[in-house]
Amino acid sequence: MKRRDFLYGIGATGALLAGNNFPESDSDCGCDASPLQQQQQVLSAPKTPWQRGQFDHVLSKVRITNLKVFGVSITPVSDRPYVFVKLETNAGVTGWGEATLEGKAGAAMACVNDMKDFVIGSDPMQVEHHWQSMYVHAFYRAGPVIGSAISGIDQALWDIRGKILGLPVYKLLGGPVDPRGVRGYYHARGGTREELIKLRETAERDGVTAFKTGLPAPAYEWIDTHAKIDRAIKQLQMIREALGPDIDIACDFHAKTSPSVASIIVKEIEPLNLLFVEELTPPENNKALARIAKRSTTPIATGERLVASYGFRELIEQGIVDILQPDASHCGGITALWKIGAMAAASGLSMAPHNCEGPIGGLAAINTDACMPNFLVQEVCSGVEPGLNEKVWEEWLGFPAQRMVNGRFPLSEKPGLGFDLSEDAFKKYPFGGTVPMGRVFASDGSVCEW
Amino acid sequence: MTKIKKTIQPASFKINAGGTATAYGGSALPDVVRQRRAKLEASVRPGDIPSSAEGDLAIKDVRGWMLREPISKRAYTVIKIQTASGLTGFGECAPLWPAEYAEAKTIILGKPVTSFDVTASLLAKCPTARAALNIAMLDVVGKLCKAPIFQVLGGPTRHRARVLAPIMGDTDTALISAMNRAKSAGYMAFKVPITPVVYRNQGQAYVQSIVKRIEALRAAGGQDVDFVLDGSNLLTPGDAQMISAAIEKYHLLWFDEPCLPAGLGAFKKISGGSVTCVGAGKKITEGSEVQDLFREDAVDIIRPDIGLNGISQIKKMSTIAEVNYATVGPNHNGGPIGTAASLHLAASIPNFFIQEISFPEAQEDQAMRLALTTVPVEVIKEGFAVLPVGPGLGINVNEQSLEKYKEVTL
Repeated sequence: MKRRDFLYGIGATGALLAGNNFPESDSDCGCDASPLQQQQQVLSAPKTPWQRGQFDHVLSKVRITNLKVFGVSITPVSDRPYVFVKLETNAGVTGWGEATLEGKAGAAMACVNDMKDFVIGSDPMQVEHHWQSMYVHAFYRAGPVIGSAISGIDQALWDIRGKILGLPVYKLLGGPVDPRGVRGYYHARGGTREELIKLRETAERDGVTAFKTGLPAPAYEWIDTHAKIDRAIKQLQMIREALGPDIDIACDFHAKTSPSVASIIVKEIEPLNLLFVEELTPPENNKALARIAKRSTTPIATGERLVASYGFRELIEQGIVDILQPDASHCGGITALWKIGAMAAASGLSMAPHNCEGPIGGLAAINTDACMPNFLVQEVCSGVEPGLNEKVWEEWLGFPAQRMVNGRFPLSEKPGLGFDLSEDAFKKYPFGGTVPMGRVFASDGSVCEW
Repeated sequence: MTKIKKTIQPASFKINAGGTATAYGGSALPDVVRQRRAKLEASVRPGDIPSSAEGDLAIKDVRGWMLREPISKRAYTVIKIQTASGLTGFGECAPLWPAEYAEAKTIILGKPVTSFDVTASLLAKCPTARAALNIAMLDVVGKLCKAPIFQVLGGPTRHRARVLAPIMGDTDTALISAMNRAKSAGYMAFKVPITPVVYRNQGQAYVQSIVKRIEALRAAGGQDVDFVLDGSNLLTPGDAQMISAAIEKYHLLWFDEPCLPAGLGAFKKISGGSVTCVGAGKKITEGSEVQDLFREDAVDIIRPDIGLNGISQIKKMSTIAEVNYATVGPNHNGGPIGTAASLHLAASIPNFFIQEISFPEAQEDQAMRLALTTVPVEVIKEGFAVLPVGPGLGINVNEQSLEKYKEVTL
């Protein structure tokens, strides 16, 4: 059967959906464990709308037949083994997504598997419907574990949709804004002034227009000493001086700072006209962030730890920050990233999606970025010179997935997310197990943000 | 309105104009935030959507027909686009001025049909034409992909779409007979006009006339029909508040635009004063207006018009409603091509509730609506519309009928 023959007409539902056994619950919460009660629940459980055949006339003939999860560690000690999701279909098309969750690989892999029943037997075309079901029927809505699992599945569904419909994902989303690609930034890892001047020369040669750096100390205390604060300010001044006025510089505070410390540093670096300052505080307290934002003229970015458009509502509605940084592998995939972008646009906020995991989530982000009129810049967690990760990615995908050309990530004309990948590629990089993220402590041994 | 708002959000802030923006919303942005945004603005520049006709998917031709129903005089515009490869698509919008059409045509010629969403900002100065072009471009993309638009956009999120019929009549008796006609066509929900407004602040007798109207329709229609009370922006906030409280116990679907939503403060007061749901937004064309409505807790349901927005613009608006646990019930006072687009939208977004569909009384008008497409679009069963299937909009437009019913060719 040709790919296109799957698209419409009466879908072949029955057999495949047999495994899709959701109880459609009434008001009873199902906590009664008595055998009679359990038996009644099973017997009386009405079928899903799919099983009742109510969707038959509006579905395609494509069905998800299998879901596989891969834990992939490039090095045995990697704190973020990639969690890749592969969906197989009866149309011979497969889709890939990424559910990598830093420090919690095992939980993310288990959560993807927990969602098997939401996916197997379903029509990949109705990705919005499956997203809703995974999120709403999760009952707890979503934190980072469920968010990352949904992201992996969502990206894989979009990959399949693109391949079946014959268009790259960014075209299915109504883009691109700019066919030359998506503006990106590398991380500035050079330490000395001479190294940074060399970095500027490389950037000018390669057309790279922006870099991101961080604060010099591994940790900051609730209120910090003059010496540490001064060092942070001087380092940023030096970076600006070395990189010159024409390269945009962002600074990631990584939520290492309290609102008190962040406010002082942000005030002092205002004359540097940074592109943005990022994650000035941890993500739970928008009021604390607003306290800093009220006193800063430097644009403020945040959002890599927030999940779904719901997680961004307050930030957008109250106009606290200027730039949102959802991560396509945590926030709920392409579906959620696109919605966050649309909401942000309505309030005049810009988008600079976070990306510090593997290549699939990165390509999902790039595809979505290309359709956002309010897109600013895309992160890749890498320097001007490719590292080991990028070499492995190129080995897997056959092209340098997240290297910029003239300061932009190019867009592929290939359907879906734009790559072919064989699961055999991972054999050399077996899952090394969950490794926690870095832990930092203050000079008195107490716990600090990292 | 500040300079920054104007550049980042090209549309005017209609709703915000008379509102009471909160600390960070709208015009009350602190200076420091404004300065920050201005800095950022320099970095966010629109890219270059390719304007030269590169590739088969570039739009090569645009045509338009301004139509009018013979008896109701309801007017709408149909636009046809054609790609270099010869694929065609149709869209519909509200009545369109030739000058706006000409401007939109200049902008869209040469753009690829797949840029159906990102061209929105380029077409912001011609929003009505943008609506029809968005629908037409999606129609082509669907045909290209050999899939219905709702599948292209990630649906179906539902297998049928609840519908609302506006009913007309000067008296309760006339309304009951109009309701019965719509009911026999399959409709179960009806938008009912308020009783005629003679004075400002009409008080008790007027409130009672509304209550009496609802009771009469409920008695005639039975327990299984639902009503929307249409304020048509005609009431004072005081009357609207009294009516809203008096009709709580009838569990209407919602009270539609009781007064002008430009006065957001008044709207917020009506919405806060009773548990009757409130709907607004028939004239909105930008997401910023939806954000304002929800920032002010002004509404339960947003009502963007399909003929003023197209599919993609409402899809974006619906994301703001979604995070406010609120729903979308698009307005539609146009023809069957617009209805088809609405039904694809309904099946593409998670938080759709109901679609308004014009239900003309006159045979001549009904005949025109049927003649515009080769297969009927507005097929209603048990209060729900059947979703159109097949590539694109899933309908075939009858061009001979466009010629027959046109007032002006664009």
